[in-house]
This record gives sequence, structure tokens and C-alpha cells, in this order.
Amino acid sequence: MTPIQFEQLYERDWDELRAMLGQLRGSQQGKPRVLIQGERIASLYRRTCEHLALARARSYPAYLVDRLDQITSDAHQLIYQHREYGFARLKQIFTEDFPRAVRAHAAYLWVSLALFAVPTLALGFIVYFRPELVLTVIDASSVANFEQMYSGVGDALGRPGGAQSDWLMFGFYIRNNIGVAFQCFAGGLFAGLGSVFFIAYNGALGGAVAGYLTQRGLGSTFYAFVVTHAAFELTATVLAGAAGLRLGHALLVPGRLTRLQSLVAASRESVVIIYGVVLMLLIAAALEAFWDAATWIPLPVRYSVAAVCWIAVIAYLTLQGRRAR
Amino acid sequence: MTRSVLDTIVAAETPEGITLELRPAGLCSRACAFLLDGLIRFAIFYALAVATVLFGGVGLAVYLIMLFALEWLYPVIFELTRWGATPGKRALGIKVVMDNGLPITPAASFTRNLLRVADFLPFFYGFGVVCLLLRKDYKRLGDLAAATLVVYQPREAKKLVLAEAAPLAPAIPVALPDQAAVIALAARAARLTGARLDELAALAAPISGDAGRSGPEVTTRVLGVANWFLGRR
Repeated sequence: MTPIQFEQLYERDWDELRAMLGQLRGSQQGKPRVLIQGERIASLYRRTCEHLALARARSYPAYLVDRLDQITSDAHQLIYQHREYGFARLKQIFTEDFPRAVRAHAAYLWVSLALFAVPTLALGFIVYFRPELVLTVIDASSVANFEQMYSGVGDALGRPGGAQSDWLMFGFYIRNNIGVAFQCFAGGLFAGLGSVFFIAYNGALGGAVAGYLTQRGLGSTFYAFVVTHAAFELTATVLAGAAGLRLGHALLVPGRLTRLQSLVAASRESVVIIYGVVLMLLIAAALEAFWDAATWIPLPVRYSVAAVCWIAVIAYLTLQGRRAR
Repeated sequence: MTRSVLDTIVAAETPEGITLELRPAGLCSRACAFLLDGLIRFAIFYALAVATVLFGGVGLAVYLIMLFALEWLYPVIFELTRWGATPGKRALGIKVVMDNGLPITPAASFTRNLLRVADFLPFFYGFGVVCLLLRKDYKRLGDLAAATLVVYQPREAKKLVLAEAAPLAPAIPVALPDQAAVIALAARAARLTGARLDELAALAAPISGDAGRSGPEVTTRVLGVANWFLGRR
């Protein structure tokens, strides 16, 4: 069969398929709805695929192959598209997928926690007994800043230079903390070393500040400030680190997959954790800006709210989504 | 296939047993798209800064939150639209797809944009650029992990305009790929200079029984054979 005959014989199918794909796309954008005949589209699509295979096998001219190629790839995109948008999907992530993914990564979580907690405690104690060593991780002006932030003067805690708008700090915390969490995750691509570094570094930083402020006698204001939002922020950072470690482990020990396949599979599973991390950090930023900084809240209230937060976070991560539906 | 040696085409097989040909976009067009997106984002930053400074603390907070959103959500949101591309990419005619040719999924878009952090290291997309240049399918680290591909938007197939010549039966049997090559020559005839066309047609002269000769008459006969191959009689 010559190319021209082939074209004349089947062109009507191709045009019909194109027209139907146009309608389908239109109805997805909320244009006037027409009845979509799925069966017809499917059979036309399969037939056009056959035509493309024939045209390639018979080395038909490029214009014909290109034309079929375009129609089929168009149809392929519309027919096989994933639909994971919307609130139903979001709800599913936070009621089931996220806590389940966290539990599935339990081993990474413990490693990540150790990587975070050991430098925190080590630097905390070292700096507590030898305060001048705080300068090994933080520069002098920042140290002075921290000291002033928690000195208890002014009407808001944990902020340099006294009262600044809660909203401003909210914006600042979001940007800063989520950036740190993303670093902990993305660092996993470098065989996990990046994650190890960022988790340990952030742990060391926190430990040094805590040790120093405790030694200077500002511990009570400092802990009162951090204890509530830490439930979300520290947990989220450790979780992001665990997800990063998963990536690194997938690259180092791919098992029966190629390293690339292993990485793709690992990131598909571990990115679910990052969804949760983002939500937790948003909550942490809100708490840090609007609740923790308020000086008028009495300490007992602070600590009870903090206890509720910690219990809620741990219970959510360990219990939520366990029951099969 | 010679085509796959010369080109950087990535073949994606569909369940129907056909292969889709994806043409990955290289460093230059992606860098241009990135710069364009950068300019757009900068313009939005600037407009926001002017608008929000009037509102004091709350304004600044909105500004910081928008800064965050532009940094992290801008690419994700635009990649999940119908076009699968940020405005910069759209302007360059490229888009993001899964490496099996499907539209990008939210999870993949989130992953590839989040891992920008790793691509960005050690300075200004160092690792991303190195990774991209080392691979035939031009993936940066984020694309590797998310199984995505930045490809050229397929262009509308042009209608074939073949140089007119009286159809002529070929003098010798001609293999199918060679027939396609002759038809391709005939399709390009209008865009070639006369001398160059004659030169190229002389290479195909054996098919019209003119082996070893060249000139406008030979060219016309070769084009006639091309018309015959296409099915004109």
C-alpha cells in the first residue's frame, strides 16, 4: 500500500480521534460539556496506534509518521493521566499515607534521631561546662544576639531587638525552617552524607545554644520558648533527615535494582514524609510566632500545652492510619 | 537505528506496544527557561515588595510567605497545569513529563523541585549542570530521583508539500528506508538551491535509471520517482 492510499483510507479515524481528544480536553477545562464516548476514543486510539506501528514498519515518509506520532502521544497523555489532586487526596495523605510512611521508615528514623540527638547532647554538655567553646559553632555576634533574645526584657521572647510583629516572624520561620528541612532531605542524594551533615549540624547548633544559655542562667526563658514548637520542628527535621537517609541508603545499597531504579523507588516512598514535614513546620512556625513568643502566658500553661503537643505528635505518628479500611 | 545514534531521542513504550519519541531539552534551553522564570519571579517579588511595604509587619509577613511560595511552589504549581511547564519553559517550547511520556504527577513535581537544593550545590546549580551534561537524556539530580524528563513540546506535523513532477516508476527495486529518504528529499526540494538539489538528486540517480549523470532533467526524474513512491500514478 502506498503512503497516499494509507492516508486516504484511515485519515477519517485520525481526524475523529483528534476531534474527540479536543472535546475531552475542553470538558476538563469546564467548557460546555459534551457526552464523551470513552469506548469510541479507546478503540480509535488503539487503531491509530496500529497505524503508527504499520507506518513505522513500512518506512512511510516522515510527515505521516510524525502526524500519527503526535496524535497518539496526545491521546496517550490524556488517557493515561494520573489524577491525584484535590482535598480527598490531601486528606488521605495526612490521615493515612504520611504516618504510615513514617512507620515504614522506622529504622531510618532512629538513625536520624541519633544523628540529631548525639551532637545536641554532646555540644550541650561541652558548652555548658566550657562556655567559650560555643564560638566553635556560632560566631560572637550571634551569641550576643541569642543572649539578648532570651534575657527576658521586652515583651516578646526569642527575638532580637525586642518586639517585632508576630506575623513577620511567622514568615521568617516558615522560610528558614522549611529550607533547613529540605536541605536535610536533598542532602540524601549525595550518598546520604549531605543528610548526615545537615542533621548533625543542626543538632550541634541547637545543643550549643541550649548549653550556653543554660550556663548563663537563661535556661528557664529559653526552654519555655522552645518546648512547644519543638514538638513539631525537631520532629519534622528528624523526619526530613530520615527521608534523606533513605535516599542515600537506596543509592548505596540498591539490592536487585539498578542504582537509578532504587533511587526512584526510594524517593517515591520517602517524599510522602516530606509532605507531612511541610505541614508540621507550618504548625511549628505558627506556634513559634504567635504562642511561644507571648510573655503573658504563665509557665504552667506553657508546659502543659507543650506536653499535649508532644503527646499528640507522637500519638499521631505511631497510631494514626493503623486500621485497614 | 541510525536515527538513535545521531539524535538524543528517548523512546518510551506505551501499553499499546508503540514507542513514543521524546526529545529531551538540553542545557541551553533549560538555562534560558530558568532565567526567564527568574525574571518573572523577580518582577513579582518587586511588585509585592512595593505593595506590602505599606502594611507594616503583616505586609512583611505576607511578603516573606510569598517569597517562600515563589521559591518552592512556583514551579510545582505551574508544572501541574495543563501545559506541564512554568511560563519560562512554555516560552522556550519545553515541558516536564514523566520519563514514560505521561503527564507529570504531583509527587514527581514536588520531588524534582525539592531536590533543586541538591542540584544547586556547591554553587549555582553546579551538580545539576554536571549531571545534566553527563547524561544523554539531560536529567539533573532532581529529574533522576523523580523519574521526570524535560522535553521539547512536539510541534504540529507539517502538511507535506512535494515538488511537482510527473510520477515515474523506479528503474530498480528500492528498499523502504531509501524510499523514505527520496520522499524526504522531494519534500525539501523547495527549500534547497537549484544547484544543491541537483547535487543531492544525483546521489539518488540510479533509481530513475540515470546512474552517473546529473542535471535538472535527472533531478526532475528523481522527483518523479519520489512522487511514484508516495503513491501518485
